[in-house]
Amino acid sequence: MLDSLNQTAFLHNVITIGSFIILSIGLIGALSKKNLFKIFLSLSIAEAGLFIYFIGSHFEVGKVAPILGAGVEKFSESMVDPVPQAMILTTIVIAIAILALAMAFVVNYYKLSGHIEIDKMDELGEQR
Amino acid sequence: MSIKKNIELQTIISGLLVSFMTITLLSVLLGLDYTDKNLGSSLIDINEDLTRSANVVTSVVTYFRGLDTLGEVTILFLSIFGIGLGIENSPHMKNILSYDNTLLKLGAKVLFPLIVLFGFYIIIHGHLSPGGGFQGGVIVASGFLLMLLAYGEAFHLNHKIITVFESLSGAGFVLIGILGVILGDIFLSNMLPLGVVGQLFSSGIMPIIYIFVGLKVAAEITVLVEYFLRTEDVG
Repeated sequence: MLDSLNQTAFLHNVITIGSFIILSIGLIGALSKKNLFKIFLSLSIAEAGLFIYFIGSHFEVGKVAPILGAGVEKFSESMVDPVPQAMILTTIVIAIAILALAMAFVVNYYKLSGHIEIDKMDELGEQR
Repeated sequence: MSIKKNIELQTIISGLLVSFMTITLLSVLLGLDYTDKNLGSSLIDINEDLTRSANVVTSVVTYFRGLDTLGEVTILFLSIFGIGLGIENSPHMKNILSYDNTLLKLGAKVLFPLIVLFGFYIIIHGHLSPGGGFQGGVIVASGFLLMLLAYGEAFHLNHKIITVFESLSGAGFVLIGILGVILGDIFLSNMLPLGVVGQLFSSGIMPIIYIFVGLKVAAEITVLVEYFLRTEDVG
């Protein structure tokens, strides 16, 4: 029973559906919330879904991490692709930088205007 | 207790549609014939001769895509710079999140050197084991976060020392690259002796680059965390 579940194609499907669910949760949160903090946090949840999809779509059953250590003595064909992991490492750092900058803008906006609701924004002279 | 149903139907449908199309597009792009599916295995094949590091991910980050990592560190620096623009005008800030707890203070005093030591262990062994500059730098910054939470106003960061560390590590990364042009053939080329796979002093410039990256990330995340803790104006 468990062996039939431990197949690469099945696990790819699980990862695809799971990352789809996480991405939709993030996007729906970003579209429906009115608080600036919650919008940016929802966007970072959506990013997490994409990270999971990228890493997971290069996962294969029976392959090990591309690192020499206990039990892995030499580089061989039974190692997973290291390029997506390195790319996602880059992407995570850039996501942190962008989230921090957005949060700093939100804090400064709250200091200047006194609210962080997007419904109450009228700096450009909109009619409410 | 009832969940408020204030999310509109159009929002849900458009969110589901956009994420479905994104995942479908990514799966189509990753499955195209033009995508080089042998890139990872060929990198693993040439890794032992070219870099002699035990961690292929570190090889990709610091050697095969070293210029990319330089750009990534620059983006992190620019983000912290943009945050610093907002706080420059108000030097007197109060720490809004700190607990006056004696047990927490004693525990933080014991744990802080251990956390910083563990962070530097992760940074220095980046080419031998999972981990590296970014991960270890964040661990070092988490030690400073613990001290800021436990001690509050009594713990002050010396911003001059942090600035010196950050600028020197950023300049050191570029200096290593320029030394690669002079002593080797291209920017960020491996001009140091490679050593034996699995030893601490091995794989040329990669540990040096990760030490610089780790110091820079630790300094930047520490400044970032301190900024978000001290947001209330008192003077």
